[in-house]
Amino acid sequence: FLGAGGGNDIQWCFSQVKGAVDDDVAEADIISTVEFNHSGELLATGDKGGRVVIFQQEQENKTQSHSRGEYNVYSTFQSHEPEFDYLKSLEIEEKINKIRWLPQKNAAQFLLSTNDKTIKLWKISERDKRPEGYNLKEEDGRYRDPTTVTTLRVPVFRPMDLMVEASPRRIFANAHTYHINSISINSDYETYLSADDLRINLWHLEITDRSFNIVDIKPANMEELTEVITAAEFHPNSCSTFVYSSSKGTIRLCDMRASALCDRHSKLFEEPEDPSNRSFFSEIISSISDVKFSHSGRYMMTRDYLSVKIWDLNMENRPVETYQVHEYLRSKLCSLYENDCIFDKFECCWNGLDRQVEFFSVLHFSIVMTGSYNNFFRMFDRNTKRDITLEASRENNKPRTVLKPRKVCASGKRKKDEISVDSLDFNKKILHTAWHPKENIIAVATTNNLYIFQDKMN
Amino acid sequence: MLGRGLKRKLSDYEENMAGLSSAFDSSRNLPYPLKRQLVLNMCLTKLQTYKMLVEPNLHRSVLIANTVRQIQEEMRQESSQQPVNICPGIAPSSPSYTGMESSGVSLQLPSGITQQESNCCDLRSVEDPIENSLLIVSDDDMSSAISSILKDLDFVEDISPPTCLVPTGDDQPKFPENTGLKLEDDRQDLKGAECVFGSFEISNSTSYLKDLAIDDIFEDIDTSMYDSDFCCPPLMPPRSPSLAAEEPLKTFPSCNSSSASNIQICRTDLSELDHIMEILVGS
Repeated sequence: FLGAGGGNDIQWCFSQVKGAVDDDVAEADIISTVEFNHSGELLATGDKGGRVVIFQQEQENKTQSHSRGEYNVYSTFQSHEPEFDYLKSLEIEEKINKIRWLPQKNAAQFLLSTNDKTIKLWKISERDKRPEGYNLKEEDGRYRDPTTVTTLRVPVFRPMDLMVEASPRRIFANAHTYHINSISINSDYETYLSADDLRINLWHLEITDRSFNIVDIKPANMEELTEVITAAEFHPNSCSTFVYSSSKGTIRLCDMRASALCDRHSKLFEEPEDPSNRSFFSEIISSISDVKFSHSGRYMMTRDYLSVKIWDLNMENRPVETYQVHEYLRSKLCSLYENDCIFDKFECCWNGLDRQVEFFSVLHFSIVMTGSYNNFFRMFDRNTKRDITLEASRENNKPRTVLKPRKVCASGKRKKDEISVDSLDFNKKILHTAWHPKENIIAVATTNNLYIFQDKMN
Repeated sequence: MLGRGLKRKLSDYEENMAGLSSAFDSSRNLPYPLKRQLVLNMCLTKLQTYKMLVEPNLHRSVLIANTVRQIQEEMRQESSQQPVNICPGIAPSSPSYTGMESSGVSLQLPSGITQQESNCCDLRSVEDPIENSLLIVSDDDMSSAISSILKDLDFVEDISPPTCLVPTGDDQPKFPENTGLKLEDDRQDLKGAECVFGSFEISNSTSYLKDLAIDDIFEDIDTSMYDSDFCCPPLMPPRSPSLAAEEPLKTFPSCNSSSASNIQICRTDLSELDHIMEILVGS
């Protein structure tokens, strides 16, 4: 990976950066979710101000073979507004927690976006023609005096500048008492689940006035509450299977065919605690912040505060692989607890393309990516067992220049180009990353900027 | 009550904490009980801060509460084995420890380091600045702090008919259990609503009603039949359209004692609910 060149190693280069340049971050501009659509042509981001910005990849220029298409703004719309719940005297944040794309069925694109309480289905459609030649209206829209109409004509469609419109098609509201942390579209493409801290609901995309509660872990007495749901996802192939992770580091796999209320799991994935690593913060750092199935559905990946774990669905008692994201933070847990960083929810993602044909051989890739502090992000190659740390910063601005790997010095003498743990900026955190489903293009969100990197094409 | 004086102390406390947590991380020589106490204090401070928020984060609250319980359990086990060494804490009746309300907890910091701390714990010396700034909380206080936080997080559920997917075809499975569970849930939610209303902050209610004497507000209403047994008399203000809507709200006793001030607060709350219902019903 470290620029050794040769074989399967990907060499990442800076491609683009979107967002404001100044260090003074406007609260509303904080990026809260990033997601490619199924073809990778569109890249959506959601922010704390409730807006969704969609970027579209330029069609590849055949002559410019050394770079893939750039992403440019395609559509911007206000998905959620701040609301006030008068009965509880609570403000409902407009921050977009998650965006999930539906596979494209016709000319329009559809995505689900959610804040803490309400999920919306948005239709994004293009308009590049408009009707002209009305009989009763002028071109500017003014109505003509009917007495002046002497002939009739049929209005025709004429080309116009491309206009992208976003309209809310469904609003799925009032089903969650607690804060929604996940949405996941089922492989049947008709239903989806939404999960909050204590419950998971199943929806049909066409029906907004009711949802079906499939998981409820709320105890009869709230004082007995010791565990909350942190993430949930449907299996990519089996439409009756889903998983949900908890704040205690467990993952439960449920089958909706087994019973109506999936409070009893089919499988429980949990790794026994390592007694040598036991601390006051053991439970807090074991809380899973993200869970993602592999494309095949055979594996799933979980992210907790310090590591990424790969689980084989056939083995419940421990993960098959564990990758340390920033183990040097283990000795700093008290400080990180004090400043609340220990509660940061990092996401993780799989690489898009599982395999690549090159020189008559099929290369199998399996790389996982996740973020860290100081605008660092990490990638773990599951085949070569090599890992790399890269930085998302405007200093690496030259396109087609390979990014320099970073290294954090945990203790002892700091080598040149290494950065010591105490110099890390814990305000610069990369929580959201996404990998293009078909190409080696990645989107990495810092606090208010979106970086796009791609591999160096030879 | 958190006055200006106490707020200053809190920020000093926080500055000390920042130094303490890096001391925790860097120093291997810090004795375990001290480390544990430090973590415990940080947890309780956080819980107290969350309690002041309008909507505390459930995930974080649960994690912190679990950490407190874990430490509590450890300390209980230790104190049952060695009753002398570890000081479980000062009694709640201590004059410097104020603010234990019956319905909820507002966890107050002691206004100063008491003699008790330096006397009972042989692990610390009075001169040591780290140890002096730690606050000792009793076991019961911790339990009630956690309980009240979690109870308050029990949000009022929408009191609407239970929703479930209506089976549209033969291949749709029947789910009768779900309806049953939902109804039970609603009953529990009403209890939860009582809890929320039970810890409803008095300071939030409009003060102008408290300033008026009870009799002045209700002089046109004959309340003689309600004066004796009921702690929370159902009021009948002359506003008929919202009357039916008020029925479920009247069953929530926001006061459990029969003191005059509680009745007044009760009526204040009901007037507010009345007002809210008006907005909702749109009358």
